[in-house]
Amino acid sequence: MKRMRWVFLLSGLLVLASGLSAAATFDRYHNPAEMNAALREFAEASPGFVKIHTLAKSPGGREVVLIEVGPEVAKASKALPAVFVGANFEGTVPLSGEAALYLIRQLVDKPDARKDVTWYVLPCPNPDAAAGYFAKPLVEDPRNATPHNDDMDDAVDEDGPDDLDGNGLITMMRVKDPAGEWLPVPGEPRLMKKADWAKGEKGLYKLYTEGLDNDRDGSYNEDGPGGVDIGVQFPHLFKFFAPESGAWPGSEPESFAVMEFVNGHKEIGLSFVFGASNFCFEPPRAGRKGDADLNQIKIPERIAGYINADPNKTYTMAEIMDLVKPLVPEGMELTESMIASFLGLGAAVNPLPEDLKFYKELSDKYKEFLKTNKLDEKRLAPAQDKDGSFELYAYYQLGAPSFSLDFWTLPEVKEDKKEAEITPEKLEKMTNDEFIALGEEKIDAFLKASGAPAQFKAKQVIDALKGGMMDTKKMAEMMKQMPKPPSEEGADPKEKALLAWSDKELGGKGFVAWTPYKHPTLGDVEIGGAVPFTDSTPPASRIESLLKGQVPWVFEVASRMARIRISKTEVKPLGGGVYGVEVWVENSGYLPYPTAMGRRNTRILPVIVSLEGQGFEIVEGKTRSLVQAIDGHGVQSVRWIVRAERPVKLQVKAETQTAWSDARALDLGGAK
Amino acid sequence: MKKALMLSLILCFAAAMPAQTAKVTVPLRFDHYYTLDQVYEAARALNQAYPQMTTVEEVGKSEEGHPIIAVTVNNPKTGPALSKPGIYVDGNMHGNEIQGGEISLYLLDYLLGNYGKNKEVTELLDGNVFYVVPVVNVDGRYHFFKDANTPSSNRSLRIPVDDDRDGLVDEDFPDDLDGDGNICMMRKKDPFGQFKTDPEDPRLMVPVKPGEKGEWTILGEEGIDNDGDGLVNEDSEGYVDPNRQWGFDWAPGYVQSGSGDYPFQAVGLKALALWTRTKTNICIGWTFHNFGGMYLRGPSRKGLGEYPPQDVAVYDYIGKQAERITPGYKYMISWKDLYTTYGDSLEWLCQLCGAYGYCGEVFQSESETFKTADEKAIRPAQGGEEGPASFLMGDATDRERLKYSDNLTLGELYKPWKAFRHPTYGDIEIGGWVKMSSRLPAAFMLQDLVHRNAMAVVFSAKHTPHVTLDVFEVRKLGGNLYRVRTRLANDKAMPTMTYEAQRAKLYPKDTLKVSGGAAKVVAGGVLVNAYRDQVAYKKDRPELQFLVVPGFGRVEYQFLVEGKGEVKLTYASRHGGTLEKTVKLD
Repeated sequence: MKRMRWVFLLSGLLVLASGLSAAATFDRYHNPAEMNAALREFAEASPGFVKIHTLAKSPGGREVVLIEVGPEVAKASKALPAVFVGANFEGTVPLSGEAALYLIRQLVDKPDARKDVTWYVLPCPNPDAAAGYFAKPLVEDPRNATPHNDDMDDAVDEDGPDDLDGNGLITMMRVKDPAGEWLPVPGEPRLMKKADWAKGEKGLYKLYTEGLDNDRDGSYNEDGPGGVDIGVQFPHLFKFFAPESGAWPGSEPESFAVMEFVNGHKEIGLSFVFGASNFCFEPPRAGRKGDADLNQIKIPERIAGYINADPNKTYTMAEIMDLVKPLVPEGMELTESMIASFLGLGAAVNPLPEDLKFYKELSDKYKEFLKTNKLDEKRLAPAQDKDGSFELYAYYQLGAPSFSLDFWTLPEVKEDKKEAEITPEKLEKMTNDEFIALGEEKIDAFLKASGAPAQFKAKQVIDALKGGMMDTKKMAEMMKQMPKPPSEEGADPKEKALLAWSDKELGGKGFVAWTPYKHPTLGDVEIGGAVPFTDSTPPASRIESLLKGQVPWVFEVASRMARIRISKTEVKPLGGGVYGVEVWVENSGYLPYPTAMGRRNTRILPVIVSLEGQGFEIVEGKTRSLVQAIDGHGVQSVRWIVRAERPVKLQVKAETQTAWSDARALDLGGAK
Repeated sequence: MKKALMLSLILCFAAAMPAQTAKVTVPLRFDHYYTLDQVYEAARALNQAYPQMTTVEEVGKSEEGHPIIAVTVNNPKTGPALSKPGIYVDGNMHGNEIQGGEISLYLLDYLLGNYGKNKEVTELLDGNVFYVVPVVNVDGRYHFFKDANTPSSNRSLRIPVDDDRDGLVDEDFPDDLDGDGNICMMRKKDPFGQFKTDPEDPRLMVPVKPGEKGEWTILGEEGIDNDGDGLVNEDSEGYVDPNRQWGFDWAPGYVQSGSGDYPFQAVGLKALALWTRTKTNICIGWTFHNFGGMYLRGPSRKGLGEYPPQDVAVYDYIGKQAERITPGYKYMISWKDLYTTYGDSLEWLCQLCGAYGYCGEVFQSESETFKTADEKAIRPAQGGEEGPASFLMGDATDRERLKYSDNLTLGELYKPWKAFRHPTYGDIEIGGWVKMSSRLPAAFMLQDLVHRNAMAVVFSAKHTPHVTLDVFEVRKLGGNLYRVRTRLANDKAMPTMTYEAQRAKLYPKDTLKVSGGAAKVVAGGVLVNAYRDQVAYKKDRPELQFLVVPGFGRVEYQFLVEGKGEVKLTYASRHGGTLEKTVKLD
């Protein structure tokens, strides 16, 4: 433990010494300090449309910085809508932070993209965890630096992992143990699998993360430094008393500041999270238990009496509205959310069907987009959205269309159909010379595939054939008797993919070979396994090409935001200075205003359509008429009867916070 | 200069209004309600009268910048505050539910005034710490007194919310049209109205029966349509409910109205919440609201699941006693017997501070009686013939309450109907129950209310854990090996850690540590059965045991110690304090 702190301190000093070169280039990963410096550089270079908001200081003393890019940086209260983009909430996906930086670069370079919308980009909301990627020893941990007594003993953060072999990486330890549950995968002994008793397997090893039992309590590395995963700190489906979730949603300065910011900026009409899940690829998960089915609501007995309902029957929301409407005082607006709250239906936990329509449609378009950019190679599935995540919070509680994006996972291992080139049957028919002619490479592959001992190399075989000690017929015989090659069955597909990636692309650097080590309490152990971050973080050389082909999808979605405009107005003189006024309000965007969830949670205000001017009175209609919702490409009309004794010019306004606003002049009585 | 001018202005103002600035002195009086400023003054007065025993601190500031203050009662001679069991009390979370402030002040005044005089009080203050926050919703209390209100308005925090969703915020408050400091009701003569004058008491109205001629239309609470949208008084302060804003199990506004945008959006509440988490010794908390006569305990939502049975036993023990201390009040389970809430302060105390908690809904309209003993014996059918009870309708309860007002407050609680010219409705009448009625006892009954509720708190305070540590055996087993048996006993109802907190692993359990310069603990664990010598030994670090001492119970531990000389046993607990015992091996 002590050593780790030292290394940490040293690496901190190195960063300082090397100077914080912050230029946003995409040939390396930026640590949190460099990230913040880059943001400040952007702001200093373009004060006219870039502004820095320092949201919080993490428990580890790092600043949480948000950058604003847009036409209204000088205004505290915005007339135009905004897009929020948060990246790397979990702190363990460095590529997503780079994606945010890449997006900012694009926004700076493309005036069109920031012409009439504000962008709030938060590249590093969990800087304590994000710093882990740049620290030694390398360990993947989403927690911030809030001290937490994980093992509920008499000391805090006292038993984290230790880099025993001094390679700068925290990997695994395997220990032969009579009660061990693990054994090496026969076909790939670098990987471990759980023994399956039903197959007659017996475990040989116990697995631990690399480290000591620093607090001598019999558990290894169970109370490491930190705290709380900012990625699960938000109030929708927040998990109380889970190991890394924190005491309550927003208990951490980072997450609270983010909530404060997004709620203080009600102009946010679209939300993106760059990280490990991907709502663009796969719409938000449905099928969670506990959702109130609004088509089959049961009414508790004590309430049923009041509203003349039958407690044994089920009702739709619309039916209940009909039952309750006559009972509410005149003039009081009855909403579904009032009913839901009254009946205690609880929170929605599944995306509303109406919203799944646009998620599905956009997912198809996203896949086409990837194909065009040649980034549609088969890869491991993105991570599932997490309870308490920002992407869920943005959809369920902010009511915004909420998308998440991941930019890389390991390539799927192509299961080569082991259509062996050389079967015993083929071999029998070959002459020695024909076989030798295959060449060393092919022969080696053949030997490996047929399960020959490792020391049995092509060269020896060729020599043996040439020397007459062996011929193809004998070899075929031997092959037929040899046991089948050991199976790779049981290996975790993700681990297999990682190993394949490491072998093929990283020259083996993604996996540490099991190496014996003398452990002070466990005795003879082997240390090895996957290098942290290998499965989430491609080499820096790939950053730019990955981001170039994927980040611009954000602009595609942003171009489909709901956009409110007045498409037509009509003034009809009715005689006696009385006029009928009709105004058609259109959502010219693709996305609905607001989402169905935004309607359910009443978070997004209606479109407020108002008549302004002087010298008129409203005979029928409201000065401020409320249009609750308009679907994508939908239109709704608002009507007034107005009286103006003399010709006047009025203005009609259709206003929203998240979907632009519009105004038109109206002439009553031919006023000029 | 400026300061001096301000001061003289204030003094002039004060001279003109002697009643408002009557100096608050100790012992405090409970024949009136305290304005927010008077609450601050009362806290200061208590602090001045008992400087050793009290500290007054500002926990945080509200939306409008009023300080939220906490008064801590601790006898420093018996140890620092955190070393003793803590009792937390707050009041007036909803702006209009003011008497929680008076209960808090009364509790402080009573305890401090009787310290050194009454044996039980003396023991209580020597062995415990009281954390009292008289007014949680300071802005609410300020405005409840200052502004015109109904008995039920002004609950909210001062966080602006666009209740009518028209893009304008808090733009249509009720209006005190007749300028009397109350928001009463408006009615208009209307032959098609649904109400007629109550034949028994002309100040009340009763619904017309089918075929009967109407006389009145009720126009709602006193006010005008400030924003011209056709609705009256539909967007006043807030609404953000201070008791739906807390971080535990918070839910957004569409699940339950009034919860605000996100947990602890309210700056003052957040400061208070964080402050309570630093008081790790709080064993029990009380939060006082009005009204109805209830002592509520959680869970506040069915889905949270019932508390562990050992905790329920503690709740029942105290709750049932509280029912007797304040006759008429019912001890109930919040979600089951009242309604579901999310993000309330009670669950915060229980789930995230690890305390037991009660919510007192104080005051019952039933106490406003006007009957002879014989009349009391006859219980009228509820609601009566005329329909359900309400604030305005002439049912039996209201008629009785009016007589109570007439004869015991000489009419203070009800405002007779008076003509008024309304800008929209024309000739109307304004009248009805006043702000200080309905949910608040009249001054002469206040003393009884605050005393009984304070005594419920005191009873619970008597049952914070009281732990003793004994070593009841040191036996040589041969060589240098000794068997040490020790007992931790608790003669009070509350365990040293709630079972809910244990279930949630909220914080580490109590520790019992054995140490000695020349002695080593070879084995140690729970003495399951002393007669049969059954011990559940702990595998690692046997010298350190984690435990909880149950209420009205004990736990015993056995250690095998090798060595000689002195061995020290140290017990440390957030709620049970710290104890030490030294034994000699020989």
